[in-house]
Amino acid sequence: MSAEFDAADVQGNILRGYRKLRVRHLMLEIADRIAARRWLAASTSGRDEGIPQITRGSWGDAKPDSCFNIGLTYEGLQALGTPGSSLKTFPNEFIQGMSARALKLGDVGKSAPEKWPSPFDDPRRIHLIATIYADEVAQLDQVQRRALADGNALRLLGTREGCCFPDDQVHFGYRDNITQPRFAEVHDPQRYDDGQPMAPLGTVLLGYSTNFEGLKWRVPQPDALGLNGTFNAFRVLEQDVVGFEEYLDRTATDLLANPQVDELLPRGAEAKIASSRRAALRELVAANLCGRWRDGTPLALSADAPDPGVDRTKFDYADDSRCPYGAHIRRCNPRGGQIVQRVANNSRRLVRRGMPYGPAYDPEKPDRAKIERGLLGNFIGASLGAQFEAMSCDWLNLGLQDPRVTGSNDPIVGANDTETSWFDLPLKSGATIRLRGLPRFVHTRGGAYTFLPSLSAIRFLGAL
Amino acid sequence: MPSDKDWFDRFVIGLPERRLFKFLAARILVPFWAWWTPVKPLPGGPHPSAQPGDNLQCMMNLIMPLKDKSAVGRAKAAGAIAANKDQIYAGLNNVGTVHFARFVIVGDNICMFSVYDGDFTNYIRDFIATIGSVFNAVVELVEGGEDVIPCEHNAEAFIEWVHARDLYQVPDTATGVLRDQEALKGDKAASGDDDLDLLPRRLTLQLHANPNVSLGSGYRAYPGYSAAQIRKQLGIGW
Ligand code: HEM
Repeated sequence: MSAEFDAADVQGNILRGYRKLRVRHLMLEIADRIAARRWLAASTSGRDEGIPQITRGSWGDAKPDSCFNIGLTYEGLQALGTPGSSLKTFPNEFIQGMSARALKLGDVGKSAPEKWPSPFDDPRRIHLIATIYADEVAQLDQVQRRALADGNALRLLGTREGCCFPDDQVHFGYRDNITQPRFAEVHDPQRYDDGQPMAPLGTVLLGYSTNFEGLKWRVPQPDALGLNGTFNAFRVLEQDVVGFEEYLDRTATDLLANPQVDELLPRGAEAKIASSRRAALRELVAANLCGRWRDGTPLALSADAPDPGVDRTKFDYADDSRCPYGAHIRRCNPRGGQIVQRVANNSRRLVRRGMPYGPAYDPEKPDRAKIERGLLGNFIGASLGAQFEAMSCDWLNLGLQDPRVTGSNDPIVGANDTETSWFDLPLKSGATIRLRGLPRFVHTRGGAYTFLPSLSAIRFLGAL
Repeated sequence: MPSDKDWFDRFVIGLPERRLFKFLAARILVPFWAWWTPVKPLPGGPHPSAQPGDNLQCMMNLIMPLKDKSAVGRAKAAGAIAANKDQIYAGLNNVGTVHFARFVIVGDNICMFSVYDGDFTNYIRDFIATIGSVFNAVVELVEGGEDVIPCEHNAEAFIEWVHARDLYQVPDTATGVLRDQEALKGDKAASGDDDLDLLPRRLTLQLHANPNVSLGSGYRAYPGYSAAQIRKQLGIGW
């Protein structure tokens, strides 16, 4: 069943990132089934007028000025009139939809789907999410106008817009977009050897071998619909930047009074990190929570101070690694390090396409009114259950992969509660300093599970 | 003005504990009542929870009805387990999150009872990914098994198949049963409909739809510890 791989049949944001400065997601409802099918057919017609053309994975050196991609929810497939015999071949988690999976994803309390603002408060109406990438707002506007010109096909329910910060920074001040799975079939000059095994194409496309020997995910039927497609967890993740910085302040102050502080940060070592001992401790804590210093230097290679000279991607977690077991990047991808679920190393990898939303926080000019800021995240993988959900429930929020972190949540994105949360800062001696009282820094404010159909599948749906 | 249904409910609840009535209740009234008020079988497995501690030492009670309901059929099942036991145990060991697992024949069912950490689908997926074809020898003896064989090529379907045969776990609190029923109907918020008079009625109907259940989520001598944490403490490698 393994398909011959053709990048032109795959939507363009899956295998490589566009690296545009701006993104706009349009949450759309299908107004009329027949008109919507016409719209889909037109989006792959090859005529670059009217409905914007879907960007394909085969874009080469000539990257288009603006890129355009779509994802469909289960309700969207239904609204298009996809036959029931096809619908039932989609995986359970996609059929149920993101809001039904809230407990697994830690979407509880303030993050619960019942608290999501419009248009995510009525998830059944979100049928299609169209995403526009460009460098200028005017380009986003122009593509949006073209996409919505036929008011009979799609009704706009809401938008979310993101914008890159310099040096790939995201809120909380870390550099992101460093690690992505690499595929033997895809040439991407941005991604060089990171010492990790190449990811099989089945990690991110339906119809190919996965990391589990002999195991393939079910391809939704017929093949014209399922092959070369994949799934996306679109997440609107609000980040409490003030809360995060305050937590670092508090923790640095507490650590200064901690008898073990000199083992954590030897006297004089602060000079390599920041201007004061307290400021250095703040950065040291921030680095440990993520597994990278804010400039991207991995702790696994440079635990004492950020070092622009070390490789940002080529490292592994050996037994004596000084990257905390509970750090965000180690939880999300334990690489070749020992984990409890011995068969799961490398099996849950995700392609991430995210961009910050909301203005960068400037501590000199605190917000006067409440401003929402965060990350518009796309977590892409051929199996939502085996990748995004497995990572979310067992690794980010239970810490099952290592007995030393079990019972704690991811310090940055986990569903933490100040009463019970903890995080261990490793010391050179092997001892640890336990931090407590971490609040939840990231709240979910919306999202949807979408199917990212291949170009053939878009044509198939257009011809239903 | 009470509806016919209310009247009927009260009549049933109020039935005296007499022998004849008990006989009639079991053979005639309950089936009729179940037909009158259809109740869907509640799904199996532990209750989803966002509390990390609740997601450790979860119980699976997998009941798989044998195709061949005779001593010969049961002997075949025993043989399939015996022949593949080492590989199955090695697979469970590789999954890493399993505390205990055992195979039991009860009636004409081959049962797998296990205690595992974390998410059910991850457990089953990792299990089937690590032992591949070995489990097919067991599944092919079970009613409906042909739909998911070979398991390793039908991972999603196999996970759903196992989930459908995992016993419903009656909640530890009385009102939990009412809550579960609401959740199945899609009512997210608690209705406050905690009328305990309704409980025996609902439970009877549920037990009619779901003849085998697990009562509560079970006792634990050392709750809140993962298999790997215990192994690590005991110094036996994880
Ligand atoms: C607002 C929320 C989040 C922030 C601020 C954040 C931040 C970061 C940063 C700074 C990195 C390191 C950069 C890199 O290695 O490319 C990273 C890596 C990563 N994150 Fe997140 N993240 C967030 C949410 C999530 C979520 C929800 C998931 C998964 C469900 C996730 C999965 C990953 C993965 C898989 C990596 C790559 C790790 C590796 O391969 O080494 N992140 N994240």
